[in-house]
Amino acid sequence: MRFAGYVIGGWALTGAVLLAYSLRLWQRLRRAERLDREA
Amino acid sequence: MTLLHPRLAGALGWTSLAALVVLAMFGLWGAPPDRVQSDAQRLMYLHVPSAWIAYLAFGVTALSSALYLWRRTRSPVWDRLAGASAELGVLFTALTLVLGSLWGRPVWGVWWAWDARLVTTAVLFFLYVGYLALRRVPSAVETRAKRSAIAALIAFVDVPIVHFSVNWWRTLHQQATVFTPSLNAHIHGVMAFTLWWGVLAFTLLYVYLLDKRYRLEALEEDRDARELAQAIDERVQGAGVAAPAERAEVGADR
Repeated sequence: MRFAGYVIGGWALTGAVLLAYSLRLWQRLRRAERLDREA
Repeated sequence: MTLLHPRLAGALGWTSLAALVVLAMFGLWGAPPDRVQSDAQRLMYLHVPSAWIAYLAFGVTALSSALYLWRRTRSPVWDRLAGASAELGVLFTALTLVLGSLWGRPVWGVWWAWDARLVTTAVLFFLYVGYLALRRVPSAVETRAKRSAIAALIAFVDVPIVHFSVNWWRTLHQQATVFTPSLNAHIHGVMAFTLWWGVLAFTLLYVYLLDKRYRLEALEEDRDARELAQAIDERVQGAGVAAPAERAEVGADR
């Protein structure tokens, strides 16, 4: 594959960003739900 | 406090994950390399769907903001939806800019150019970062919602400027491939399928994340309201003043 560094880097970066955002969102949501139940 | 039924949201999450896996298979292996740009063009299957989601997310923010500002439809639902969608819009705009830069380096020879499309997209990113910052300024819920809605509508003016910048000015960035003025897509076969699949996969992911982000917004609003009420109670009790409920009881005794 030509320009493999750019292509694979772009795809890997996109996957990492979307995964990190989703995990952080789930984490914040779980915490908010726990606090809501405790209130 | 959710937009979707939990089962539907779960199914949507798994469907979008499967769609993204299929997109990676086609984007990295299934679709042929471009005749001119070779494999560098494979970044298009992420760059274009990201830009599409940015438009969609800011469109949802603008529409929700307008519905909040209109007295007949005013509801905290629209304010939460606007905030949730704007955050996703900022995320996908950032991805669009970074992927564009990674694509531009092998094709144009530069990471960045002071090109109308690039600059207006960067402006869009900062406008909505400002919008998110404005939402965090402490104030009454309604005041915050109103000023955020006005800011969102002002910021949205940049979206058509971004889209039509390649037609209005001479740019290094290529003209529209799919959403051309005549709606005649300049892409065919497996490449077109992969691009459309990418748009679909990203749209499913956007709807799934929007549902989650909306619920978080609602729960955080409730928590802020509880904490504020608790703080007022503590302050009133600490000052030795009867709380409003107690004053009402005293008044009733008389």
